Amino acid sequence: MKPVSIVGPSDAGKTTLVERLTELLADRGPVATVKHLRCPPDIDTAGTDTARHREAGATETYGIQGDGTWFATGTDRTLGDTLDDLAPDYEYVLVEGYSDTALPAIALGGREHAGEALLSASSADSVDLEAAVQAIEGVDPYETLTALIARAAESEQAEYAGAIATFTGRVRAKNGPDDARTESLEFERYDEIAAERVETIREELTDREGVFEVLVNHRTGVVEAGADVVYVVVLAGHRAEAFRAVEDTIDRVKDEVPLFKKEVTVEDDFWAHER
Amino acid sequence: MDVTWKLFATLGEAAGDTEVTVTVSDDATVAKALDSLFEKYPAVAEEARAENGSIYEHVRTLHEGEDVENPLDSDRGVAAGDELALFPPVSGG
Repeated sequence: MKPVSIVGPSDAGKTTLVERLTELLADRGPVATVKHLRCPPDIDTAGTDTARHREAGATETYGIQGDGTWFATGTDRTLGDTLDDLAPDYEYVLVEGYSDTALPAIALGGREHAGEALLSASSADSVDLEAAVQAIEGVDPYETLTALIARAAESEQAEYAGAIATFTGRVRAKNGPDDARTESLEFERYDEIAAERVETIREELTDREGVFEVLVNHRTGVVEAGADVVYVVVLAGHRAEAFRAVEDTIDRVKDEVPLFKKEVTVEDDFWAHER
Repeated sequence: MDVTWKLFATLGEAAGDTEVTVTVSDDATVAKALDSLFEKYPAVAEEARAENGSIYEHVRTLHEGEDVENPLDSDRGVAAGDELALFPPVSGG
């Protein structure tokens, strides 16, 4: 799933740009959008049944019609929660606003933003839409374990698969009670070569009898303690092949793929190979 | 002609950049490209090389994505715009 934010001041045409990009991207894959609201939504208005549910203490409420059309209201929802929920089913998520998050951004009207700059323009009308689409396609995918499992299960050979096995590598805060706490890890990647090496590992593992799909996703940049770093998902005929393939895949990723880890602890920071 | 060196982890930090350019002669080899890199960036040399001048065993050299063994003795030719890389042991996963 490729999430991108479209940021800019209120008259720069963010919504217009989201409309235009959605039209183009929808031909390539399912699109979802998120808008950062400045004021409460005009929905679930006072006196409606769902508003009464909320008043009574329901934290989240859904209104669903027979034909599947729906709305929901709730509290405490973050952009991260939303991207996680959308990742399994959508190829593109266009986020209007949220310039302070680390999403890659198309910036209008000189708007500053925290994430990587994909494209800048003075307004929606001066954006080269083809270039914008290419830039969006080039974004590092946002993956969740759920999304990878859903993708693995779409394999052409899924009808022969009786097993899905996964591995999640996460940032360990401490090795033991006296260990200095790790606050975060930072990963550098030799991009093209890393992609080639992962592809080789995937091909060689799926060559195995009974192993139908192997998916790998490794985050780059800063990853906080307790957060996930790497996912391996294997779809196989039976569990023995699935478990073995998961273990062999992560072992090979750690051995062969040019990724470099820098550890930041409360005391120090150092590159992994230095210790 | 110019060739690009991609530098990772401690080597990138030593150079102050993850991608640097060095100028070499048209008939240069990987060995020459490495010498030029070390000359231009002594801090990288210090990280990558032992006192006797040999590259630390754990440091890897890649030329256009392929591993080069004994890079300081390598007569593998480089072309203008080629990409080389120098890095310490990988530590992903």
